[in-house]
This record gives sequence, structure tokens and C-alpha cells, in this order.
Amino acid sequence: MKIYIYQLFERFWHWMQVLLIFTLAITGLEIHGTFELFGYRTAVWTHDTASWSLIVLVVFAIFWHFTTGEWRQYKPSMKLLKEQIEYYITGIFKGAEHPTNKLVYNKFNPLQRFTYLGLKILVIPVMGITGLSYMYLNYPNQGFQLAGLDIVAYLHTAGAYILIVFVIAHVYLTTTGHKPLSAIIAMITGWEEVDEKGARAMLADELEVALKITKARLKTDSNKSELLDTALAETEEKLGVKKDEKFRNVVANSGAGYFRINCEGIYEEVNKAWASLYKFNSPEDVIGKHYSLSRSPEEFEELEITFNKVRKGETIPHGEVTRICQDGTVGHHTVTMTPVVQGKKVVGVEGFILDTTARLLAEKELLENKIRLEQILAERDGK
Amino acid sequence: MKQIIYLVLIILFPFSLFAAAQSEEGVDVQSTIKLVNYVKKADRVNRKVVDHSKFSVLKQDFKRPQDVTLACLGCHTERHTEIMANNHWTWTRTEKLNGRGEVTLGKKNILNNFCIGTSSNRETCTRCHIGYGWKDETFDFNEKENIDCLVCHDLSGIYKKESGKAGYPYEGINLNVVAQSVGSPKRENCGICHYWGGGGNNVKHGDLDKAMNDCSREVDVHMGTDGEDMSCIECHITENHNITGKLYALSSENKNRVTCSQCHTDNPHQDDLINKHGLRIACQTCHIPVYAKANSTKMWWDWSSAGRLDEEGNPLHETDADGNHNYMSIKGTFVWDQNVKPEYYWFNGLADHQLITDTISEIPVQMNTLDGAYSDKGANCKTKGCSKIWPVKVHRGKQPYDVINNTLVQVKTYAKNKGEHAYWKDFNWDESIAAGMEYVGLPYSGEYGFVETEMYWPLNHQVSPASQSLTCIDCHTNSTDGRLASLTDFYMPGRDSNAWIDNIGLILIILSFIGVCIHGGLRIIMRKNCLHD
Ligand code: HEM
Repeated sequence: MKIYIYQLFERFWHWMQVLLIFTLAITGLEIHGTFELFGYRTAVWTHDTASWSLIVLVVFAIFWHFTTGEWRQYKPSMKLLKEQIEYYITGIFKGAEHPTNKLVYNKFNPLQRFTYLGLKILVIPVMGITGLSYMYLNYPNQGFQLAGLDIVAYLHTAGAYILIVFVIAHVYLTTTGHKPLSAIIAMITGWEEVDEKGARAMLADELEVALKITKARLKTDSNKSELLDTALAETEEKLGVKKDEKFRNVVANSGAGYFRINCEGIYEEVNKAWASLYKFNSPEDVIGKHYSLSRSPEEFEELEITFNKVRKGETIPHGEVTRICQDGTVGHHTVTMTPVVQGKKVVGVEGFILDTTARLLAEKELLENKIRLEQILAERDGK
Repeated sequence: MKQIIYLVLIILFPFSLFAAAQSEEGVDVQSTIKLVNYVKKADRVNRKVVDHSKFSVLKQDFKRPQDVTLACLGCHTERHTEIMANNHWTWTRTEKLNGRGEVTLGKKNILNNFCIGTSSNRETCTRCHIGYGWKDETFDFNEKENIDCLVCHDLSGIYKKESGKAGYPYEGINLNVVAQSVGSPKRENCGICHYWGGGGNNVKHGDLDKAMNDCSREVDVHMGTDGEDMSCIECHITENHNITGKLYALSSENKNRVTCSQCHTDNPHQDDLINKHGLRIACQTCHIPVYAKANSTKMWWDWSSAGRLDEEGNPLHETDADGNHNYMSIKGTFVWDQNVKPEYYWFNGLADHQLITDTISEIPVQMNTLDGAYSDKGANCKTKGCSKIWPVKVHRGKQPYDVINNTLVQVKTYAKNKGEHAYWKDFNWDESIAAGMEYVGLPYSGEYGFVETEMYWPLNHQVSPASQSLTCIDCHTNSTDGRLASLTDFYMPGRDSNAWIDNIGLILIILSFIGVCIHGGLRIIMRKNCLHD
């Protein structure tokens, strides 16, 4: 499956950077005395000019990152860092699955996040600052001048080596995607080929975001029932799921649960994901049953109210709900319900559910840890 | 898509700017050269303002050369006061010497590592004095008739001063012809002393050579008779007999200079980066890639081997393949060289000198230390120009010194006759040093030795055509024969690097390469295994 992962500017920025850094590295090394190629004056000229181009490019990129919020992609994260490293050291040889997935909202693995952030906030700025110092703080015609070029030159040279090493590793690691060339093709076309699991994870991720957005909108403007459709359309677009694939089909295979209930409250259709979330063996076990089956009595009442609202034509994103599974255990999910319209009549209710149990458990654990930590701190301070 | 095209254009904009700046450069240097305060040869109008052959006062029967001087001064009244202030006359001037206050220094009392010093040898050395009769300290510097106008102003070419005659011309020169053909000095007038300093052609400077009376642009782009054909005073602009330009080897203060920028401006190049280089590099450095282009110059003078005589006790001359003396009994051993690459030093226009009264603190003795360092710039600047890198001829040698007093010594080298303690006649160091030191009134312990000395001659002449000037990699190279290989007090790209950074960088690059190969190789092998499974 293909997803649209790199936007036009991003791709332009990337390849322009490739061109400029390559030029800078070659001419820089000639200036450094490593080899003779273009001739010294030409090398200096090209280096100085390319460096200005790079600076302009970086300014544009900074602007882009902040206006699009893409800078968040570079927020460092320790999550799965160890797994990612282990994957490169051992897993990859055994054909293990990538521990992280490329998502539109999270397209870099933790290692990438660290590396790219390091380049962006350390190496490139240092190269720029030392490079400009070479140009403008060397000769005694400016107000301020350096005592000598040595420190500047050492930093600049070290930075150059770091960038070259980065480029070698970076180019190689692009071959570790779904297929050896998929990452590079993605950077050219914007579309990246991902495996099944990757696509699903990405879909769930997107869906959740889309639903959250819808939820937020519905809260302020509850009359607009077509908003969910908009949200789904947006999701479709954001996912970059190619238009020839029917969204519902994708959903049917995704981690999101789908259900349809008729006016009598009988499940007409559920997908596999739904069934497994409720711990049924197969959708057949559910179809034909009444929806009270999966709710506690209190919640059932609440659900009935919502259900009736939807039957009247409203779309309700029912935030977080609790479900009772087949085996009696309890799970949590978000749910969105929309009316099913046939002709002009509402014939039922359909919706998606996204499992949040794991997240809730994690949040709970986090909270417990926090409380424990606070206790420990309080005790320590008490002593 | 349109936006992207705009972006590409914006980002590549610097290239177009720089490219425009570059394309101006290729234009023919000759036609675009930027000049101020200068009239090109083609545009010069040669007007004869005065014809001295028409003055009856110059037709008189001159008994003595002094009579010519008086005739000159008869019309050019008061000019003698200008001359008497000129150090071509005084052979001395008072200048502030870095860290020692005011010192009176000049050809009169300084020591060098060629013929050592003029004191006690005036009679012969003053052949290059613009006066008549300075044979000892009784010479009257206030007597205007002693001024020799002709040596500078004779354009007939027949006026010559005689050796050992304290500045008097050869007997029998027709002074009427000479006096009637005077005018502004030509290069021959300056050259007769300035080419021949140190007792031979091009001995001292290395960039002032009799060949420059008629040379090609390759030898000297300014003076080349096939080019601009400039005379000395075209640059050494002279008003009221104050001749601009001072010998760097002898002047201690940075004043009254002749500079390239007086005609070429401070921004002579199209390429701004090269103009910026001019803030730290003298023009001469790139534009005088070699000196002594037409004739050899003396690089080494070892007095310690002097005095070897033939069987009959007569002095010897030995000559090398190029016809240069490499041994003379009266002077010692020489090494000459032609088309010499200069040595390079920081220099800010100030110089210090090893005076005869100074004790020797350093071997080789530094006859004239050129002041300067990379760090002499900006706020640390000692002079208004800061230090620049200069091309320098370094003349090295060995000369006598007082072993006990640890000072250099004055030697009496010249006398007309044997038995007057002159080294060139009697070949007795002890006596000659004693006589020299007595002349200058300084003590001599009676024990002499020979000490190595170095003297610095910043180069200014024999500028080459632009096409032959140094290029970037003459200096920006890590090769050991890079021009600036030994000027190590600063970091220069292309020459310097930090071995640690370079080695670690290289190792990391190699390791990452190997790592990638191994990792990739393993992936391929393991994948294959998987397939077989
Ligand atoms: C904004 C970025 C940069 C600027 C402003 C810049 C500027 C400069 C300048 C002014 C010099 C001194 C020589 C000259 O005048 O051209 C220089 C040298 C050098 N540059 Fe850059 N540069 C930049 C980026 C890079 C990059 C990305 C690399 C390599 C990947 C690089 C590698 C080098 C090297 C190796 C030298 C020679 C260092 C030495 O031996 O002193 N530069 N750079």
C-alpha cells in the first residue's frame, strides 16, 4: 500500500540540501587541501555561493517547519529508541518487523528524530556560523574580528566530517524500508510504499486524529451532521490513501472497529476488528444480537439516548466509552455514530470504534507512578 | 509547482550574483586596470620647458665641479637648503626606534652585512654621496658648493664619480657639456648608486639591477621599456627635493613611503576577495613572485674566509660559471642566485636595527628586525596599516665581531696605501678592526671572531606582469614548498589543519563505509538464507 508522506516543499528542500551539501563537501575539502579538483579560486567561489544558497534554503525550511507544525516531528523521544537500535543491530537480519511505523504525524523513528534534530540545531548552525565567520570576521576591516581562524576552522572541518559520515549512513539506511528503494522513491514522489501492518497502524493513527478533530468541531457546532463525512474525507486525503481504494474497504481491514445497528437495536454488521475488540471469535457471533449485550445497565441507558438522537439524524461522536467484552472483561474505546440513511429514511446507526484500553491503562499507570514519585519526594523532603 | 520554481530561483540567486561578479574579471587586465594620479605613457606630452644649453653661465670655464654647483644655485636659489635636509646629503636621520626612543641612524653610522660600514672608509664609500670631498669627519655639511647637482641631474651620461675620490668626478670630464644637458633625473642617475650598492650590480637589493635601464615588462612591468617605461621618479614623487620612499632595510619609522596604492588604489582588483587579501598581504607578495630576474644577486657573504692570497702574496678573484665572483681575498666567499623566490615575513613598516653599540643577543645576528606579526591587526595594530605579509630578500653572511665585548665591529677596509691598517691592503683583521673602532670612538677588546648575520630587504621592484603573479595555491597548499610554509603564526585554509580532526574524521568516514558494507552484506546473506528456509 502507498501513503503520501512527503509534501512538495519537503521533497524540494531535501534534494536541494543534497545538492548543496554535496557541493559544499567537495569544494570544502578542496579548500581544505585534501585534493585538487576545480582549482582553488573556483572552489572557494562555489563554496561561498553554495553556502549562501544553503542559508537561504535553511531560512525557508525553518519558516515551513513552524508554519506547518512539522517541527514537532523532530521532538526527541525515547520511546522505542532501544527497540529501534536493536532492530538495526539484530532484528533486521532476521527479517523482524520494524519496531516503529512511518506515520504522517510521526514519520521519523526515534533514532532519526535524534539525528535530524542534532543536525538541525547543532551541526548546520555551527557550519553556518563558523562559515560566516570565515567570510566576515577574518579581515581587519570589520568592527569585530577573530584573533585567528583556527578555532573556526577546526569546528567547520569537524562539522564537515560529521556531515559526510552522516550522509554515508543516511544513504545506506534509506535502503532499510519496506523495499530497498521505497524510501528514496518516497522522497522523490512523496508516496511511500509501506507494509500491511504499517498501513494499518497509520490508518488507526489518522482515524483517531480525524475523529478528534471532528469531535472538537461537533462540540461547538452540533448541528452539522455532514461534519463526520468531511472528517472522513479529510482523513482519506491526509492518509493519502489512493482514491481508487474505497475507504470503507480500508477501514474494514484496519484496526478500527466498524458496526452497523438497525433501528431495532440489532447488530447488522460488524467487522473483524470490532469482533476482536469485544473478544468474540468472529463477527457472526454478534450479528443479529441486540446491542444491550455489550453494555452495563447504566451505560446502556446512556447509549439508548444517544442511539435515539442518531436515529433522528444527528451524528454523535461519543467520546470515551466502556465496553463489556464477551469474556466479561472491560475495555475502553472512542466511538462515533452516524445515521444510516436509505432514501430519506434513517434505517439505522453506524460508526467506528477505536480502542483506547491500552492508552487508558498506560495513563493510569503513569498516574500511579506519578503519585508514587510524589510520595517518595514528599517523604524525602520530610526527612 | 510554480512556487517550487520560484524557490529554486531564489535559492540559486547567490550564484547569479557571484557569477556576474566573476564574469567581469575575465576582461583584459591592461585595458581595465584602475589607476589614479597617473598619466599613461600614451597620453603623456613631452614638453621641454627649458634649454640649459642657452644659458651663458653654463658656458664658463669650470675649474672645479663646485663651480657648476654655484652656477646652478645662481638661478635655482635656495635649492641647497632642500638638499641639505635630504638624507642623500646627510646620510643620517633621526627616527624613533621601537622601544629605544630617538636614534640618529643612516648610512653614516649603521652597520650592514655587506661592506659592513662607511665610517673609516668614507673616501671610497662617498662615491655615492651627493657631495664633493667627504673624506673624513672634517667635511662641512653646511657648505653649499659641496653639493653635487650633476650626479642626479646629468642627462648626458658622461658624468661619473671616481672611486676613492670622496665623491669627486673623474678628471677631464667636460663639465660644460654636462651642465648644459641637465634635467629631471632618469633611471640611470638613480641607478648608478642604487643598482650598485654593496660594491657590485644588484648585490644588495636583488630587485634593483642595471638591466632595468632597459628591460622587458617581464623583468619590471612598470619600468619595462617595451611597456610603460616609467622612470624612478614616476613613483618616487619628489617635490622640493624631498624624494618619497625610504629604504625599508634602514628606515625605522613608517613614513614618507611610496605605495602601490598611490596609483592603484586600495581596491585594485575586480575580485573583492583578493582586495580583502590586500588588508593582510602586501601587493608585492603576489606581484613579485621572483626577484633578481635579469642578473644574480648576492645571497651569502662570508667575511671569515677573506685574506687567502696567492703565492706572491697578491689578492685573488675567483668567478663562478655565471661570471659572478664567488671568492675575493678582500671580501671573502659569496653565493649568488638568480630568479630567487622571496622569503615571507609579517611587516608593519617599523624596523629595529643591530647598532654597533648593541650587544649581540641572538645568532644569527638580526641586522634589521622587521616588526610585525599576524596578531598585529585591528585593535592591536601598531601602525596605521597593520602588519602585512611581505616578500623579503634575506641576505645572510658572516662578519667580524668583538668576542669579548660581544658587539659587531666597524672595520677599516679602505685606504689608498698599504700600512694604513686597511683590510683590503694589509689583510690584518686585528689592525683593521682596531682602526675602524678607533675611528668611531668605541672600544675594541683585541679579540675578534666571525658571527652569522641576517639582513632583511623587503622587495618592491621588479613587479611581474599580472599573468605571472602568485595564485591561490602558491600559498593555500599543505605542500612544504608552499610560499608561506614557514610563516606559521596563523591559521590559513588549505595549508593548515588539525591532525586530530583530520585523522579522526577520516577514520570515521572509513569506518562508516566499512560498517555500511558489512551491514548491507549481512542483510543480503541472511535474506538469502531466509529464502532457502
Ligand atoms: C552555511 C554553511 C556554510 C558556510 C557559510 C561555509 C563557509 C565556508 C567558508 C567561508 C570557508 C573558508 C574558505 C572560503 O572562503 O570559501 C569554508 C571552508 C570549508 N568548508 Fe564550509 N561553509 C558552509 C558549509 C559547509 C558544509 C556543509 C561543508 C561540508 C559538508 C563545508 C566544508 C568546508 C570545509 C572542509 C572547509 C575547509 C576548512 C579548512 O580547511 O579551513 N562547509 N566554508
